[in-house]
Amino acid sequence: MVLSAITEFAAQEPKIYGLIIGLVAAAILASVINVVAMLLVWLERKVMGDFQARYGPNRVGGRWGVLQLGADAVKLFTKEDVIPRGADKPVFVWAPIVAVATTMLVAGALPFGAVIIDGKEIPLVVANMDISAFYIEAALSIMAISAFMAGWSSNNKYSMLGAFRGIARMIAYEVPMGICVISVAIMAHSLNVVEIVQAQSIWFVIAQPIGFVIFAIALITDLGRMPFDQTEAEEEIIAGYNTEYSGIRFGLLYFQEYIVMLLGSILLVHLYLGGWNGPVIPVISFISPMIWFFMKLIIVLVALIWVRVSLPRFRIDQVTDLGWKILLPLSMVNLAWAVVVGLYFA
Amino acid sequence: MTTANDVLSALQSAFPGAIEEAKVDPERQLWATIKPDRIVDVCKYLRDNHNFDHYSGAAGVDRIDEGLFEVTELLASHGAHQVVALLKVKTPRDNPSVKSLTGLYWNANWYEREIWEMLGINFEGHPELYPLLLSDELMGAWPWRKDYKGYPDYNTAERAIEKVNPEGYTDYSFTPTEAEIKAGTVPFERPKYPTFREREEMEIKGESEMILHMGPQHAVVPGPFLLDILVDGERVKKAFLDVGYIHKGIEKIMENRTYTQGIPITDRLCYMAALTNNEAYCGAVERLLGIEAPERAQYIRMILEELSRIQSHFLGTAEFLTLIASAVYSPFLYMIIDREDVLSCIESVTGARINHSFVRFGGVRNDLPEGFKDMTLDTLKMIRQKTEEYKELFSSDSIYQKRMEGVGVLSPSDARRLGVSGPPLRASDTPFDMRREDPYLLYKDMDFEVITRKEGDSKARVEVRLDEILESCYIIEQCLDQIPSGPIMAEGVPKRIKPEPGEAYYRVEDHRGEMGFFVVSDGSEKPVKVKARGPVYAYFQALPPLLEGVYIADVVAIAGSMDACTSEVDR
Repeated sequence: MVLSAITEFAAQEPKIYGLIIGLVAAAILASVINVVAMLLVWLERKVMGDFQARYGPNRVGGRWGVLQLGADAVKLFTKEDVIPRGADKPVFVWAPIVAVATTMLVAGALPFGAVIIDGKEIPLVVANMDISAFYIEAALSIMAISAFMAGWSSNNKYSMLGAFRGIARMIAYEVPMGICVISVAIMAHSLNVVEIVQAQSIWFVIAQPIGFVIFAIALITDLGRMPFDQTEAEEEIIAGYNTEYSGIRFGLLYFQEYIVMLLGSILLVHLYLGGWNGPVIPVISFISPMIWFFMKLIIVLVALIWVRVSLPRFRIDQVTDLGWKILLPLSMVNLAWAVVVGLYFA
Repeated sequence: MTTANDVLSALQSAFPGAIEEAKVDPERQLWATIKPDRIVDVCKYLRDNHNFDHYSGAAGVDRIDEGLFEVTELLASHGAHQVVALLKVKTPRDNPSVKSLTGLYWNANWYEREIWEMLGINFEGHPELYPLLLSDELMGAWPWRKDYKGYPDYNTAERAIEKVNPEGYTDYSFTPTEAEIKAGTVPFERPKYPTFREREEMEIKGESEMILHMGPQHAVVPGPFLLDILVDGERVKKAFLDVGYIHKGIEKIMENRTYTQGIPITDRLCYMAALTNNEAYCGAVERLLGIEAPERAQYIRMILEELSRIQSHFLGTAEFLTLIASAVYSPFLYMIIDREDVLSCIESVTGARINHSFVRFGGVRNDLPEGFKDMTLDTLKMIRQKTEEYKELFSSDSIYQKRMEGVGVLSPSDARRLGVSGPPLRASDTPFDMRREDPYLLYKDMDFEVITRKEGDSKARVEVRLDEILESCYIIEQCLDQIPSGPIMAEGVPKRIKPEPGEAYYRVEDHRGEMGFFVVSDGSEKPVKVKARGPVYAYFQALPPLLEGVYIADVVAIAGSMDACTSEVDR
């Protein structure tokens, strides 16, 4: 009811109302994403602590260290912002902004769960596009450009090597990842993420197990997390593309990684784990899809953290080898499988 | 089996007149003074005919009373026999010059450079006589000479001259005052040589090549040292190594302390190997004094040194893990936690976890406390179980296989030629272990296996360490079973240690390889010269050739598998 009222209000003339509504929605979305990403940083530190037989944050903000992130953020905001001598200043300054902005582009098209009103499922998505899966995939690829901007403009050898590695890796992994998304779309008969979720009476992780594995590996690579963090392998190239960043600019780059991790996990949940689908919980049926969605999301996030703390790092040539020689042929197999099964069940 | 007497008689018949004085003391050590012009021939003869293929180091001694410098070359064999030849060459103090052995032994390079920069002895035929440990402004001061007068303080801020160079960075220079020049604390003449940076830049060929610094401030380095790699894309074309960032002058400090005061200083050679460093130093002084520790003390030393080996190998493997994985990598932290229990066992005896200063001339400081046996056996049980787990981790994880197998391969002949010892040498199929080769303490009564691997790659080096942990557990169990009761200090050790004039060399199996102490006494309370021959020095020297042609990521995997310790290299 409320939602339909808002939609009607936005649709009326003049169009300026629609613009205002859109801006407000974008602002709310950005803040929510940022807060959730901060919680994610906290979750990672805490879970990592548990995995490694230590406490993790446990001083600032009580026993659970919940205010640690606030303290970190204040520190990052107040630190000196250093731009190295010899850096390409405009590119250097804009790289973190481009990074965060492109991530926000992804957020615009991703549904964040759904609610049930009057027995009708309403997905919580800002822009419900027909080709949102394709759009998200494209926007995710821009991330590598921002990392390259940061690495190239820093006038630093480590950053440059990190940037080169990032591009080499991106090319090797976006292709199988894209083919996986196509396979999913073929089976769901749609490129719209909402429709893909609704099409999953059987989760696609069961229908396309190979695709799930490839997509998960490619996603971790896209996120640049262990065992695929060659762009910022601190033992080899200090911090890779963000070596020269400090203060709030580093904060943006750092935060962007966690936002992407969150959005990537949401995408994985939507494409393969049935999104918010699940049996309706009787009393609280209104938010029952949200409960299912967040349960799946947290499992995926913890799994990502688990992978990070337990696997050593690949060498860059081994990463590209894996991408081109194993994942790409396998994703082709998966595509063929999706076509056959999709046509058979259609 | 070749004995020292056989070698001596062979030498005397092959080079009549070239050997000025010679003795065999103790049974496996051959001491000889060689005429300066025949040293290369003698060494070549020993290498080719008597298997002296292990160049163990060189020590320079300033005999200011006699107006001489002495250079003692330490030669040994990789397992063919147990004789150590200590060949002494004398050269006058004014215009000192000795023939270089770099043509015979590749690894003589660094040892001779060090003697050159510290004592000013020129090595004829040395291909690259550049400073190793000293900084450029200290060259020409010859700090190891007995008449060294000290050097002005370069760190005084108000005397530094700032100059902005064309690239926009500030250079600092320093000019000494006239008073300092008059007092003789500033060298008048400085040797001429290309600086480290110039030598590097000579090697850059194409536009796609660049020098990448790994150190002195870098995550890969276990301490500050400069590893510069010339890279073309992701490939390393050549590696340059510069050490000396934490040169503490430990050998010179020990010359100015009494023998007993030297023990805590040996701790600081390397914090991971304090006990074996104590052992090597005390063993050398015991040889000078002609005393031997009672049996119980020797057992206590063995137990603690093996425990120390376990903790060192744990930390070495853990560090390797952080290098090929990440600092947030969990098994690294698990190993550190396991190591704490071992440290607690050592602490219950020595009272310290890192710097023990525990071994004494003719014994040990404390006896084992009550309940030590049970506590240690419990810990060993845990260690065995955990080590098996880590071995399984290394052998089952495919990313490890990819990162370690075939990376940094040292063939047996290369490993011997480059002069490495300890786990890297044993991983290259050479069963060379001082505990077997030159048995000290009571290791000759112990039943243990010298662990070797055939592959010689990073993985083999890590596996050797993990297997040695198990072997050390076995040795400790034997010691705990056999340890007799009795005194822990030899009788008749004087309060003031004043050994008879003479020299002694004592080598032990450090956790990382051959650790030897060469001590020279002139009958006073302070040693004339203490030379620490450390294993990591040899690893570091062997590192640049190993790194040629590998990926940048492999630099980390190779350097990490060596288990390096900068503190011991710089001393």
